[in-house]
Amino acid sequence: MEELIEQLKQQIIEALNFEDMTPADIDANAPLFGEGLGLDSIDALELIMLLDREYGIKLADPKSGKEVFRSVRSMAEYIQKNRTK
Amino acid sequence: MRITHEIEITPTAVILDGQTLTQTETGEKMLIELYRQYANDYPKFFKLDTLSRLGFIAAELLLKAEGATRFVPTEDRAVILANRSASIKNDTDYLETISEGNYYPSPALFVYTLPNIVTGEIAIRNKYLAETAFYVLDKPEQLTPIIETTLNAEHSELNSAIVGWCECNNANSFYAKLQIIWKN
Amino acid sequence: MIYCLAHHIISPLGDGSRANWEAVQTGRSGLRFYTSRFADVEPFCASLFDEPQLFVPLCIHSAEQAISETQIDAASTETVFILSTTKGDNLDLISPAKQIVQHFGNPNEPIVVSNACTSGVCAQITAKRLLEAGVYRHAVVIGCDIQTRFIVSGFQAFKALSPEPCLPFSPDRKGLNLGEAAATIIYSNQLSAVNLHPVWALVAGSIHNDANHISAPSRTGEGAYRCLQDVLQGVQPENIELVGVHGTATPYNDAMEQVAIERAGLAHATISALKPYFGHTMGAAGVLETIICMLTAKKQFIKMLSGFGGVNAAIRLKCE
Repeated sequence: MEELIEQLKQQIIEALNFEDMTPADIDANAPLFGEGLGLDSIDALELIMLLDREYGIKLADPKSGKEVFRSVRSMAEYIQKNRTK
Repeated sequence: MRITHEIEITPTAVILDGQTLTQTETGEKMLIELYRQYANDYPKFFKLDTLSRLGFIAAELLLKAEGATRFVPTEDRAVILANRSASIKNDTDYLETISEGNYYPSPALFVYTLPNIVTGEIAIRNKYLAETAFYVLDKPEQLTPIIETTLNAEHSELNSAIVGWCECNNANSFYAKLQIIWKN
Repeated sequence: MIYCLAHHIISPLGDGSRANWEAVQTGRSGLRFYTSRFADVEPFCASLFDEPQLFVPLCIHSAEQAISETQIDAASTETVFILSTTKGDNLDLISPAKQIVQHFGNPNEPIVVSNACTSGVCAQITAKRLLEAGVYRHAVVIGCDIQTRFIVSGFQAFKALSPEPCLPFSPDRKGLNLGEAAATIIYSNQLSAVNLHPVWALVAGSIHNDANHISAPSRTGEGAYRCLQDVLQGVQPENIELVGVHGTATPYNDAMEQVAIERAGLAHATISALKPYFGHTMGAAGVLETIICMLTAKKQFIKMLSGFGGVNAAIRLKCE
């Protein structure tokens, strides 16, 4: 799990162009939206695409994303359960 | 019309009001270097496409040179930019994400596949609620009558505008020449 | 003010402004379901030409039809061509514009307005300013976009497309449908050049940014409200009978427009939302939808649009 979290942090940094950040800067338990990383709606869509591209997960209903994208840890947990690649 | 500040940015040179700024980097890396040197308080900069980074940093340097109060909502300054190749650099980047056999269209890239986004980014950064407009033209001088008639339009509340040519073909081929221009 | 000399629409609903207007009146829609038009993209609902069209010939056809109804000389230095488009001919905007003016033998450099979804309204505002200042006497304003794999894939990635025909201003709206069309309006600064009746004049135009977000409209409709306030200068809101909205049927756009319309005192006006017939025709939308409003309204209307980049635009047209 911790390995997946580290990998995911790196993928998020690349996908969302956080050129100033390293994985160590991201708290796996901090909220991704609002406070914390302060992501916006386009970032949410980019994370949906990341799940599809890297883990073969199609998140059809953007509303279910709310739970999945609560934190990096919640994303990793969802990936572990649902990944197809 | 009166021009108060002017900046020219190429991949290897930055000239602000006639003075050359010394940079160590070139191309897109130079735009990031300029951001770190002269702004560095707007992490969203890193999400912008190259065309928007170019226009954003050019506007930042112009506004620093101007030295007026910033980030207060204002309705009297427009942003009017133009180029020849629209958003071709970012269009090309987006096309890569929809190549056949590797089809993962990127929403973060798609949103920058319009050239006017750079004018919106400058407006958002500076809280400019006035006009933003983008024109695709063959020659930079075509923009002059457009700027004149925008500033002098009937009932216009505009006093000034950030105007100019903002073109980006790829990460190492771009050109911006922006000015702050006043109606009177 | 500037005066409308002629107009033309070609869309999947027909060739000619009148044919398109009648299609709307009889409730015909160009929206169809497509499962294999473009490789890889998911099935989608849009208004597309049966036979894929080429950008430049489509623009030329529309402009030619409109010009043929006027006395203007398309090859004159006094006539300017203004093209409204977002993606042009396969991402190239300037070359098709140059090909169009070359076709008509026009000596002036064309102007392409690329201000996202507001382009078609902004192009008319550009025409108004240049004609009122006497830079040119006539303007041929052409709006056109062709749907491509590029555009459809992007809107799908944005989760902005409705799987069904769109429902502007409905609580059940699920997103937009894309469309393709070309439309032309010819304006003149000379009333004497008009032989179209009734005589429509473009009397006011305004563009404002929300200064909020590049892809999410302001909740309070800041930019759109300011545009409406500007074009309402010198007229009582109750004299506006019709407001042609953007009405993309995305949740946020329509909510924002509703707020802006109410704030501007226009809640009484009839709302014209045309995307259920034509889809979102992007660069063509502002021109096409203005024409339908001219054929629908009796005395005075406002056409408004909003788009990516936080930009909003509105124009007011009045029957002289």
